[in-house]
Amino acid sequence: MIKIENVSKAFNGEQILSNINITYERGKTNLIIGASGSGKSVLTKCTVGLIKPDSGKVFFDDREFTSLNTQERQEVRTEIGMLFQGNALFDSLTIEQNVMFPLQMHSSMNAEEMKERVDFCLKRVQLEGVNHKYPAEISGGMQKRVALARAIAMKPKYLFCDEPNSGLDPQTSIVIDQLISEITKENDMTTIIVTHDMNSVMEIGEKVIFIHKGKKWWEGDSETILTTDNQELSDFVFASSVMKRLARSSK
Amino acid sequence: MNLLSHMGQFSILMARTFKKPEKMKIFYRQLMFEIDSLGIGSLGIIAIISFFMGAVITIQTASNIDSALIPAYTVGFTVRQSMILEFAPTIIALILAGKVGSNIASEIGTMRVSEQIDALEIMGINSASYLILPKITAAMLINPFLVIISMFIGMAGGYLVSWGTGMIPTSEYIYGLEYDFKVFSVYYAVIKTIFFAFIITAVPSYYGYFTKGGSLAVGAASTKAVVASSIIILIINYILTQLLLV
Repeated sequence: MIKIENVSKAFNGEQILSNINITYERGKTNLIIGASGSGKSVLTKCTVGLIKPDSGKVFFDDREFTSLNTQERQEVRTEIGMLFQGNALFDSLTIEQNVMFPLQMHSSMNAEEMKERVDFCLKRVQLEGVNHKYPAEISGGMQKRVALARAIAMKPKYLFCDEPNSGLDPQTSIVIDQLISEITKENDMTTIIVTHDMNSVMEIGEKVIFIHKGKKWWEGDSETILTTDNQELSDFVFASSVMKRLARSSK
Repeated sequence: MNLLSHMGQFSILMARTFKKPEKMKIFYRQLMFEIDSLGIGSLGIIAIISFFMGAVITIQTASNIDSALIPAYTVGFTVRQSMILEFAPTIIALILAGKVGSNIASEIGTMRVSEQIDALEIMGINSASYLILPKITAAMLINPFLVIISMFIGMAGGYLVSWGTGMIPTSEYIYGLEYDFKVFSVYYAVIKTIFFAFIITAVPSYYGYFTKGGSLAVGAASTKAVVASSIIILIINYILTQLLLV
C-alpha cells in the first residue's frame, strides 16, 4: 500500500499539484488518469522521490518515504520497479544485460541464478530469443516488454508505469495492459499506472483516480466512470465517440 | 544560473560521485571500459598532433636562430622544454577537453533526457557515482601515460625533422634534449595532467548530468562543457605554474 498525504508541488510559482491525498491499494491496478499537463507524471515522480514535493508526505506501507535519508531511500527503491514512458533502457547494454542490471547491483545471486531469473522475466513478458540484441534492434512494443521485465526482475513490491501504452498500436497496448494486470495479481504488488488511454481504464482499471488542474478530482473504478456526473471527468472520458457509445449502451 | 550556484551544484554532485561504489566488480568493469574508451581511444590523435607539433617547433626554432652565438643544440633543448612543460600536459588536455569532454557531456545528457538516469535512481543506484566516478578515475589514471607518450612522440618528431632536413645535426639535437634536464619538469607535467584529467571529465559530467530538455539541450550542454572545461584548464594551468615553478 502506498499513501500520499497532502502533497503539493509548484514550479516557478505555478502550482502543479495541490494537496493531493491518495491511497494506492495493494494487489490492485491503480490508474491515474488526466489530460496532458494535469500533473499526473509530476505526482508519480513526487511519489518515487525523483521530484521533492514542496509539502506533504508519502508512505510506502508504514515507512514515511519523504523523511528517509539517502541510504534508506535507496533501500526502499530496491523494492520499486518502474516502467518509464520512453522505456529508459540502457542503449549500451543488451536486452539480457538490461534485465540483469538490477540483479547485478542489488542481489546476492550467482551468475547462473541471475541468468535463470532473466530468462524467467523475459519469458513472462512473452519475449524469447532476443537476449543478445540491443534495444535499438527491437521494436517499440518489444522494448516496452523488456522494460517491464527489468522492472519486475527484483520482484518489487511496488510497480509504477508511466504511460505504458504511449507509442504502441492498440493490439500491443492490450498485451502490455494485460501483462501488467496479471503480474500485479501474481506478485500481489501495489501497481500505479499513469495513463490517458481510456482502453486501459476500461480493461484493467480497478481503482481510477482522475487528476485535473493539479487536484484529485474524482476517485472510483472503471464501472462507475461511465455513469459519472462529474463534468470535468465526463469531458475527459467522453472526448472519444467510442466511449460515448459505450456509455449509452451501459445506461 | 550564476557562478556560485554552478559551483554549489557541482560540489554537491562531486560529493555524491565520490561515494564508495555499490559493487566493486561492476566499478572495476566500468573503469576498464573507460580507460579503453577515454584513454586508449585518444592515443591516435595524441600521437599525430604531438609528432607534428614536435616537428614544427624544431623547424621554427632552427629557422629563427640566426646568431652564431646561439648553439645549435638550443633547438633540441627548446623542443624538450616546450613538449614537457606546456605542450604535452596543457595542449593535449585542451584537445581532450574537446574530444572526451563533448563525448561525456552528450552521453550523460542523453541518458538524462531519455530518463535512463531516473531509471538508475529508481533502482536504488547512486547514478552520479555509477556514471561519473569511473570516468574521472580512468582519466586520472591513464592521462599521465598519454602525456608521457606525447612528450616522447613530440621529441621524436623533432628528431626526424632534424635528420630529414639537415637543419641541425642530429647529434646536436640529441645533446639539446639531454642538456640541463630536470626530472622535476616531468613531475610538474604529470601533476598538471592529473588536475586537468579531473577537469575534462568532471566538468562535462556536470553539464551532462543536469541537462534539461531534449536533443537541442544535449548539444548545448556539450558545447558549454567544452568551453567551460577549456577555460578552467587555462586558469588552473596558470595557478599550478605559479605554485610549482616560481
